[in-house]
Amino acid sequence: MDFSFTKKEEQFRQELRTWLEANLPDGWLQGEVQLDKESKEYELFLRDWQKKLYEGGWAAIAWPKQYGGRNATLMEEIVYQQEMVRVKAPPLINYVGLHMVAPTLMQIGTEEQKEKYIEKIITGEEVWCQGYSEPNAGSDVAAIQTTAVKDGDRWIINGQKVWTSFGHVADRCFLITRTSRLEKKHKGITVFLLDMHQPGVETRPIVSMDGQKDFNEVYLNDAIAYDAEIIGQVDEGWKVIIALLMHERTGIGGQVFTLEQQFNDLVALAKELNDEDEPLIKNPFIRKTMVDLYTRSRGSLLNYYRNLTKQLKNGHPGAESSMDKLLVSELTKELFAQAISMQGHHGVLWKENALMDRSYWQDNYLYSFGQTIGGGTSEIQKNTIAERILGLPKDMGR
Amino acid sequence: MDFSLNQEQEMFRNYVRKYLDDVGQTKVAREFTEGNTSSFQALYAGLAELGCASVNVSEENGGMGLGQLDLVPILEETGRALLPGLYLETNALAVPLLERFGTEEQKAKYLSAIASGEHTFTVAWLEPSGNYKPSNVKLSGTLQDDVLTLNGVKSLVPDVELANSLLVLVRTSEGQGAEGISLVIVDCDDVSLQVQPQKNMDETRLLAEVTFNNVQVSSQQILGTIDHGWDVLQEGLLSFNAALCSSIVGSMEKIVETAVEYANIREQFNQPIGRFQAIKHRLVDMKMDLETARSLAYYANWAIESDAADKVEAVSSARLFATEAFIKVASQSIQIHGGIGFTEEIDCHLYVKRARFYENYLGSTQQYYEQAAVALGW
Ligand SMILES: Cc1cc2nc3c(=O)[nH]c(=O)nc-3n(C[C@H](O)[C@H](O)[C@H](O)COP(=O)(O)OP(=O)(O)OC[C@H]3O[C@@H](n4cnc5c(N)ncnc54)[C@H](O)[C@@H]3O)c2cc1C
Repeated sequence: MDFSFTKKEEQFRQELRTWLEANLPDGWLQGEVQLDKESKEYELFLRDWQKKLYEGGWAAIAWPKQYGGRNATLMEEIVYQQEMVRVKAPPLINYVGLHMVAPTLMQIGTEEQKEKYIEKIITGEEVWCQGYSEPNAGSDVAAIQTTAVKDGDRWIINGQKVWTSFGHVADRCFLITRTSRLEKKHKGITVFLLDMHQPGVETRPIVSMDGQKDFNEVYLNDAIAYDAEIIGQVDEGWKVIIALLMHERTGIGGQVFTLEQQFNDLVALAKELNDEDEPLIKNPFIRKTMVDLYTRSRGSLLNYYRNLTKQLKNGHPGAESSMDKLLVSELTKELFAQAISMQGHHGVLWKENALMDRSYWQDNYLYSFGQTIGGGTSEIQKNTIAERILGLPKDMGR
Repeated sequence: MDFSLNQEQEMFRNYVRKYLDDVGQTKVAREFTEGNTSSFQALYAGLAELGCASVNVSEENGGMGLGQLDLVPILEETGRALLPGLYLETNALAVPLLERFGTEEQKAKYLSAIASGEHTFTVAWLEPSGNYKPSNVKLSGTLQDDVLTLNGVKSLVPDVELANSLLVLVRTSEGQGAEGISLVIVDCDDVSLQVQPQKNMDETRLLAEVTFNNVQVSSQQILGTIDHGWDVLQEGLLSFNAALCSSIVGSMEKIVETAVEYANIREQFNQPIGRFQAIKHRLVDMKMDLETARSLAYYANWAIESDAADKVEAVSSARLFATEAFIKVASQSIQIHGGIGFTEEIDCHLYVKRARFYENYLGSTQQYYEQAAVALGW
């Protein structure tokens, strides 16, 4: 057992630290950057950050060098996550492109597609979204009804997508469609790399419970895509869907470190809040709750390290990532719920009236409800763990 | 980074597993509950022969000189089988204490005997109607001319009948707090103790009230300095609790395995019950608790072995999580088994009872919460 980082890894950390010090937006660490999340200004700010990361060579460290990455090892990725969380770096506007679409393209795309899209993803020139969910196909992805019909070298696409994160800022969409009705519903699906800037594509914002407009409905009315924009084979898109979902899961690591950071923030809150002239952290009931949360968030971090060790030894990730996702998202929800409770009735004050930390707690509390749904619900993660890890029989209907 | 047991440790696990498989896993524990301790004694001797008793005893005292992490595979395996007896108390409490605080004479007297599997220790701490607070240590020790005279009663002392020595918490000076308490080794063969068995819900562990009536021991039997035994014990409890967690992990692992197996074979409504999510998701929750307990336990044992700065919070939080999860997982398993789970016939109930035995063993849950909070600087 050994929890240390090698000298090389520590050097890597130092290099990144130095870069961050010089390149984080002015006032970012001091919490002085306050932009309206819905403004064009914010979008430009995020695009600019993405570009800066690219120019510094920090946009996609896990990618091969030929695509602008650093061929980073798993351990370097950990260091990267830790450091980014430490400075609470701005979010990645092209998260879907960087962590989901591009790795899938490298794995399955044609040379032409790699050439055409990958560089624009890493530079942030083209922001991507993921068009999986539909009103009647959420957990049951294969139930999609959006159709693509062949017309010469073009495909005519009709249907509706929903919950499309970044849809309003995206230039392209990793879109799944039905191209044949075959006996098995996993057959007859085709994936397109859809251009969002065309008349047949309309996005309408959806207001989520935290008041944000981060995701959208996407209406496809005779939208056009070309043969060259198909990834994988016609009717064989299910494999492509799974490949992308696997890459989606590698993002989970960062959540573990974010949780650790958020827990430390919660401790600070419990020390700051007073209960009859004594910090709340001295209250026995709060102490018990906090130790309990400490234990479980430590546990989730250590589980993650143990799974990572397995991955380092086997050379590939296993179904354990579902365990990480389930644990971390559920714990995050509990952590912020606790933060609201701890503030007493004042906990309901939010936005500019929030008493503590500029609505950090309220915003994250509300946002946390999405974390146990997005990227596959907790129930679906449990089905995966039950079937793939425990070897229980498959769920009905699948 | 490498967060796993090494190859030798995993190999040793296989030897222990195979040995326990050959004697029927929980069969020995079941015989023990029926009053037959001879098969257990034979098993203990066999485990000692494999090296289990000598693993963490230093080489100069006849052991293998390995560390806390080397106990983990043994503990997980003996936890699976619900091993009765004093392995934990002996190897995870007495050994680290003797190695660290023992005099040369004490080391010579006890360690090699422990390593060969011939000597075991139990702990006499609680007193009737008392709790684990230092103020409740009332059994008195009066020192005169190098002789300590003990008077008082200890309760809930585990497996005295199997023990060669007792670690006894004794009040050697006036006071209510932790000062004035000494940790004294009492050898069962040298003194006469009145032992009154107490019924234990967990029948794989024996309990007794032990009365000390003018029991005389030499002052050489004090472990660490006189009047400072409380701190000595706390130090030992860190190793003990880390080890306890691993034993619990073993038990939980066996429970989850058994419950999953049952959910796969038991059919109702024309399908395995494991297909129903009410069962399936419960099993996943159990698995999550198991793996979290395992991670926390590994880390706790590593923290002890490497004397890490965060060892107190690592151990206390692991203990809290493991004891609670053990109760939860063992209880769920009965529900999953349905009617058969409620019977004495299968093992389910044995695990619930063991889980309750550990819940407040050698320290209350409340105290460990407080210990963790203090260690975290809150
Ligand atoms: C913040 C956020 C961002 C998102 N971003 C995107 C995105 O960018 N692109 C995209 O395509 N989608 C996105 N989604 C959609 C997300 O993937 C789906 O919401 C999710 O997969 C669940 O589908 P659903 O909403 O249709 O719920 P349903 O599938 O209708 O589920 C409703 C409830 O039933 C349960 N349930 C369903 N099936 C089962 C089953 N077999 N066993 C047990 N319980 C079951 C679910 O767990 C849930 O509790 C996002 C969602 C959120 C919250």
